[in-house]
Amino acid sequence: MTVSATQEDTSTEEVSRLADPWVTIVWNDPVNLMSYVSYVFESYFGYPEAKARRLMLQVHHEGRAVVSTGPKERMEVDVQAMHGFGLWATMQQSDAPGGSGEGA
Amino acid sequence: MTPFRSTPAGYVATWEPVEREVLARVARDVAGLLSADSGLPDDATEAEVAFTGVARVPRDPAVQRLLPDAHREDAEAAAEFRHLTQTDLAAGKVARLHAFAETVDPSTEPVTDAGDGDQVLVARDDAQDFAAALTDVRLVLAERLGLDDDADVEHLHTEVLAGLGPEQDEDDLDPADDDPDDDEGAAMDAEQRVYWGGVFVAAGFAQESLMDELLADLRARRSAG
Repeated sequence: MTVSATQEDTSTEEVSRLADPWVTIVWNDPVNLMSYVSYVFESYFGYPEAKARRLMLQVHHEGRAVVSTGPKERMEVDVQAMHGFGLWATMQQSDAPGGSGEGA
Repeated sequence: MTPFRSTPAGYVATWEPVEREVLARVARDVAGLLSADSGLPDDATEAEVAFTGVARVPRDPAVQRLLPDAHREDAEAAAEFRHLTQTDLAAGKVARLHAFAETVDPSTEPVTDAGDGDQVLVARDDAQDFAAALTDVRLVLAERLGLDDDADVEHLHTEVLAGLGPEQDEDDLDPADDDPDDDEGAAMDAEQRVYWGGVFVAAGFAQESLMDELLADLRARRSAG
């Protein structure tokens, strides 16, 4: 796996990246059922019902949601798991466009 | 087709023979498509598959949806992720689709034509894989039906309900002599669209009812633990 252009960034960004460097994003699709997506978020991530529902609705209404945050290796595991469930997921560095925050 | 219900033995629904036959066949077709287009060896059950398979970017858009890029902005990283994970992922999906087909396939026990239905029993430990196989089937059907957004899906539901009026019985769901594989790449005609749309809607109905029960059981377990 590549370590991309981190050296060019400012020290402030460096700090936030060290704290929570990567995110897993789940993207909306018209096929997956809301109940199925909630089930995946509750069973795989162990999120409480309310948080899983909020993320599911965020995916549905906003087109995507950050569903997990952490080191790159962890996000690779999460993305592969999401693909296993049939959800459309990608990973990126958390300071990349659209990658910031977990929405609560 | 009745909704899945939680029972002591597992999740149980009643599917008509034709529903069992068609959904099993579609699942096996999706497994075959996935194997071929992801570069899996013919016998995907071999243990060494995970280490000998050569991952390539699927050509079929439906297979691409099952095995999507993990990086949106970085093609090199996406290719590397695919190289490391695709064979395992595809082999897991193929095995799961075959297990799904075995669970619902009426060929393992003779099915009468009477349309008196039959039980589909999904063991609790298998239910998540069963639901995920339904997802993969629905994703491929959706691609073939050109369902790109929520409005497309709603429209299809309307079309299917209109095409399956109260006078119609399940025999009309038979594909007759149509072989959809012959028409790959070509637009579906209206009859095929209603047929495959009906399969998509039925698979969604089965999955929705199964998810209701799975979620209820999961939440009960978690609040008890």
